[in-house]
Amino acid sequence: MWIPIQINESSAEPLYHQIETQLRSMIVSGQLGEGTLLPSIRELAGSLNCSAITVRRVYQDLENEGLLRTKQGTGTFVSKVEEEQRGTYKQTLVQEALEAAIDSAIAVQYSKEELQALFLEMIEKKYKAAGKGGNAK
Amino acid sequence: MTDLAVKLSGVMKSGRRKIIGPIDLEIPAGHVTAVVGPNGSGKSTLLHLMMKTIHPDGGTLEWFGQHHDRSLPVELQQHIGYVPEISIYEENSMTAEEAGAFRGYWYPKWDTAHFEELLNRFGVPRGIRLSKMSKGERRKFEISAALACRPKLLLLDEPSSGLDPFAWREMIGALRTLLAEEEITIVLCTHIVDEIRKLADYVILMRDGRNYGMVEKDALLACFQEWWIRGGQEEARRLGALETEPGLGMVKVLVNPVQAEKLAEAARIEVLRRRSIEMEEALELWIKGHLPEGLKWNRGTL
Repeated sequence: MWIPIQINESSAEPLYHQIETQLRSMIVSGQLGEGTLLPSIRELAGSLNCSAITVRRVYQDLENEGLLRTKQGTGTFVSKVEEEQRGTYKQTLVQEALEAAIDSAIAVQYSKEELQALFLEMIEKKYKAAGKGGNAK
Repeated sequence: MTDLAVKLSGVMKSGRRKIIGPIDLEIPAGHVTAVVGPNGSGKSTLLHLMMKTIHPDGGTLEWFGQHHDRSLPVELQQHIGYVPEISIYEENSMTAEEAGAFRGYWYPKWDTAHFEELLNRFGVPRGIRLSKMSKGERRKFEISAALACRPKLLLLDEPSSGLDPFAWREMIGALRTLLAEEEITIVLCTHIVDEIRKLADYVILMRDGRNYGMVEKDALLACFQEWWIRGGQEEARRLGALETEPGLGMVKVLVNPVQAEKLAEAARIEVLRRRSIEMEEALELWIKGHLPEGLKWNRGTL
């Protein structure tokens, strides 16, 4: 069994953090539904070339957040995610992405006005494209 | 807290050429511990001490929480699988099947079906004497036989030396299957960095007969980063860089990211890019003595 987690080995982000972020996002977005059995610690460690200690830590963290539960002897399963939690998560995700974009703008001394104008332009373009894609289906 | 498979406390052995130890070491049960170090650093002797095929001159050993003053009890020996660096001469005139049957007497959990499956998977030639096999073929037999005894403790001494890349992948696969299926402890002496990347949970560094620490693999990789910072030698110095390489208006530095992150913020040094280091680089830095003290002996969140 495998789950679509991709490690960026040269990224400065710690390994356990990369795995945890991706797994959390798959659970909260509903990509991994309630009751899904996750790979064993060994299986996941093997497929990601990381240590079993790292995977155990990720599973424990997500269990503490209430996203996973472990049944002795059977394995680790995805728990039910509350609607409220899902909403909060979505907002956090978008907020973080926007912050990173703004940081890049500041780093190249882009002005606040320029950024605002560009942002509105991009929104128009992207949502138009997404709308078209939707109609084509 | 994890149980220990093997614990060495102040273990010493004086040989004709060199002295091994004192070694203090805890091998966690159910995990893979890779032992790395230059040639002649005492890795093979360490495995022999763990099997008591070499008796220590001083210090104590424990196996799964038990002391054994004389030789190891048969029940324990039957749960130890071993792939030696050099194959034993006693099996030279046997074929793979004969040597398998011979080992089957000794190991009560010997799994003939699994042995056959592994011989096929590795493509070990049948009906010819082990001494007539190539180095790699003999190696494939040794690995198959060590796995077929379904050990609780598996000691591998340079298991992949002589293996072709296809057999090497099969070996990694077979070891991973074993790890997923049962509670097994593996101690792996190796020079192959990719083997550490793919299998290890912990890494031990041996040098001149001494143990220089034990680090969780992912923590080892995370303890240094390569940064590109704006500025020159002065900025590099302020970040406590271990190594620097000047560029155009910027400098490439090797830093401990936890410390350097705070220093960069305080000194307003701009970091243009961050990159994790590779296993080779991490091991080299460790051998040079650059590993943070706090990381050694820290067995992580077990």
